[in-house]
Amino acid sequence: MSSFHLEIVTPTKISDEGQVEYVRCPGLDGSFGVLSNHRESIFALDVGEIKVTQNGKDHYLATSGGFAEVTKEKVELLLETYERSDEIDTVRAEEALKRAQEKQEAKDIDPARNDVSLLRALNRLKVSKR
Amino acid sequence: MANLKDIRDRIKSVTSIQKVTKAMKMVAAAKMRRAQKHMEEARPYENRLSGVINQLLPDVDRDLLELLDIREVNRVGYVVVTSDRGMAGSFNNNILKRAQSEIDAIGKDHVDVFCIGKKARDHFKRREYTVIENHTDFWNELSYNHAINIGEGVISHFTNQNVDEIHVVYNEFINVARQQVQSELLLPLTFDDENSRPVDRLYEPNKVDIIKSLIPRHLNIQMWKYLLESYASEQAARMLAMENATENAQDMIKELTLEFNKARQAAITTEMLEIVSGAEALRS
Repeated sequence: MSSFHLEIVTPTKISDEGQVEYVRCPGLDGSFGVLSNHRESIFALDVGEIKVTQNGKDHYLATSGGFAEVTKEKVELLLETYERSDEIDTVRAEEALKRAQEKQEAKDIDPARNDVSLLRALNRLKVSKR
Repeated sequence: MANLKDIRDRIKSVTSIQKVTKAMKMVAAAKMRRAQKHMEEARPYENRLSGVINQLLPDVDRDLLELLDIREVNRVGYVVVTSDRGMAGSFNNNILKRAQSEIDAIGKDHVDVFCIGKKARDHFKRREYTVIENHTDFWNELSYNHAINIGEGVISHFTNQNVDEIHVVYNEFINVARQQVQSELLLPLTFDDENSRPVDRLYEPNKVDIIKSLIPRHLNIQMWKYLLESYASEQAARMLAMENATENAQDMIKELTLEFNKARQAAITTEMLEIVSGAEALRS
């Protein structure tokens, strides 16, 4: 299978993922996949799971969103935060989930903001089970 | 005549203080380098992000974006970035003075304050300003999540129309010897839409939604930059303060040693006089 170059850029580091065959990302309107020779494009990404296939093996990442830039040379994921499935601190994620759920009961907080925290915690837990 | 033992004790205590200030200076230097490294690392992400936003903005109707919404200003939000700890010369003083004078110019009752760092919290709480959020005790394990957290609070305060403008007062890191207090307008966002050339690309789901999801992220990275600038400045200021303290301690040790030697010499002279006069008395 033909491959392409993948780079992940975050505010704290740039990581060169090397040649990969397939990337699946959580777009705002649902997941989409990128294979090599994809048309040049920009996708906005939501909170969710990224799947990367490299040398026939699948890796999973949890992200809080960002955007993907597909060019002829490479694919760049600009993510605010991301964690590999085996790096996720499940204890911390559970705590965040519990905190967000408790806050849902309270009236004095911004519901939209809390929903995002809830989504993020759920997503991290989900990806950590991969 | 000064007591020899007293002087010796003072020299000892000044020396141990000097050890502490020296160590603090070293720690501050290491932390400052770390903050500078973070600043370097954030640049590529920031550049790409604002690149894409600048490219898309001309094609998007500004009225659709609430974060670009310019309203009549009735209430203003101030984000004041200070440190948790002192011992950094005039670092916190300068920032608090500037922030307070700007806030008082608008009127205390028309301003909501977001306090970052213990020093800001203590300052504005005590003077009974309207404090919306406090963020303290995170500087030591500063991470991007803190920037997101602070950013979200500030953004939602603006989009809920609680305030019509958000200003940030922070210390900008110019170089090790210089930090400058800056006051910037964070919201509503202003972009200069220039040098955008059309690129044949696919935008998914569409330009407006991309912009809408990217602008809050742009604000988060701005917030991250403010935090890093302030952190680097704090450490630089502390480094300088501790450097001065170490020098002062050195001067004090020198003076005390001189005094000690003089006192010792005086004691020896007195003793010799006594012996000589005793011997004289015996001979006659």
